[in-house]
Amino acid sequence: MSGFDSATPRRAEILPLGDCALLVRFGERLDDAANQAALVLADRLAGAGIMGIKEIVPSLVSVLVRYAPEMIGPNRLAGEIALLLGAKAAERQAPIHDIEVRFDGPDVAEVAAALGLGVDDFILRHNAAPLRVLTTGFAPGFVYCGLHEEALVLPRRTSVWPMVPAGSVLFAAGQTAIVATDIPTGWHVIGQTAFRNFRPDADPPTLLRAGDLIRFTSVP
Amino acid sequence: MSARLRILRAGPLTTIQDGGREGLLVHGISASGPMDRSSFDRAGRLAGASAEAGVEFTQAGIDVAVEAGTLRLGWAGGAFVISVNGVAQDWPGSAELHAGDRLSITPGAWGNYGYLRFGPGLDLPLVMGSQSTSTRARLGGVDGRALVAGDVLKLVGQGKAPEAVEAAHRQDGPIRFIWGIHARHFTQNVREKFVTAVFRISPMMDRMGVRIVDENRVFEEASILSLVSDPILPGDIQILGDGTPIVLMRDHQPTGGYPRIGTIITADLDRLSQMRPGQTVAFAPVSVEHAQHLLRSSA
Repeated sequence: MSGFDSATPRRAEILPLGDCALLVRFGERLDDAANQAALVLADRLAGAGIMGIKEIVPSLVSVLVRYAPEMIGPNRLAGEIALLLGAKAAERQAPIHDIEVRFDGPDVAEVAAALGLGVDDFILRHNAAPLRVLTTGFAPGFVYCGLHEEALVLPRRTSVWPMVPAGSVLFAAGQTAIVATDIPTGWHVIGQTAFRNFRPDADPPTLLRAGDLIRFTSVP
Repeated sequence: MSARLRILRAGPLTTIQDGGREGLLVHGISASGPMDRSSFDRAGRLAGASAEAGVEFTQAGIDVAVEAGTLRLGWAGGAFVISVNGVAQDWPGSAELHAGDRLSITPGAWGNYGYLRFGPGLDLPLVMGSQSTSTRARLGGVDGRALVAGDVLKLVGQGKAPEAVEAAHRQDGPIRFIWGIHARHFTQNVREKFVTAVFRISPMMDRMGVRIVDENRVFEEASILSLVSDPILPGDIQILGDGTPIVLMRDHQPTGGYPRIGTIITADLDRLSQMRPGQTVAFAPVSVEHAQHLLRSSA
């Protein structure tokens, strides 16, 4: 799964995002190497203790860095980031989470059929290998996990589900997502889990971190 | 010291806000906070606010009654019409109110958002370090929802000495922005039209975003590709699939995959939030250095 060699850093682009943030982007399409590069940089930035950084947000293929302009300028910060891009990564041992899913979502039969599989085979293939949490985004605690093998890649639905409940397990674009709050979605709903990633009263408010590994298992 | 306020009338999207819950984008949570931060701060200075939270109300205004206790209230933001027990007051301004007093705020000459701040602090739980309401994520404030008539707010503690503030001078001129993370996805022609055309604020606006009417069809021919989502910040100008520009505001979704042509500078975002539907708006690009200079001089 790790196609990214941290000794040969991927080319990054450092762009201003408004007057108080930089975006460091590792690609314009989602692939494993770009996502890993973003996670590695976010870790290094968190460990580097650069004065003036207010927030570090790893995403699918980029890292947002919010800064206090009265403490550090964008050029100096971009320079510090460039130095970290060249540094060697400290390997992080990713925690593994087991998540039980009831694969009885309203779209699971259609998804399996579109992939040329029976539902049981689809579930087997879906759960065959652990997935990485690529990022948290879109809504509180909503995690994107991936990437699935090429043969399991399916576009989103053509219509939107107006509301799916927390715990819904979604599938599209080579990824599986876990819903943590009630949301509308254009993804295929393939199942339900009792797992709740978002707990507003807890600190931190979400359990899963980008880079963590997820082992999905099927429960009746 | 404690006091109790009852909401007698509330326009849509009246919410509790404070400085916001920053630093939680990594959990998929946007910061929220006041749409017009400088007016929120001015109302706080007028009230001698000892705590961070206040009430953000919308164009229709708000009526409140003091049910118990004595407290100072400060108000600011846009230009509303205000009276206390039927007696007209200055806007912005402040007054000490006692049990039985009624304060009524009705629509005024300009602006979308006004603020009521209090000497004592609002007795509401902190959710992830903040009392700000995110109606989108249903967090904070009063049960994560907008305030409605009949809600009672408890206030505790002692206010600080109130400060005098100057009335906000209404600024005009183009809204300034920094070219966005996807600016180069737009042709030179579209970029040029974007900075020369006149747009209009649409009625489709809320705390998540303000849609802009593209009367001159600047983005009509822009072919919009689907992009990988990146984190969003308030002020990002996204161009939706049908060519509609939308400026993302305080309750923005944390990530987005529509192309962003620009990001409005911090010093101009309060002003944009106060522009009413139908008002014309033009956009002008500036450098990051200039935007930061403006931020320092406005602070």
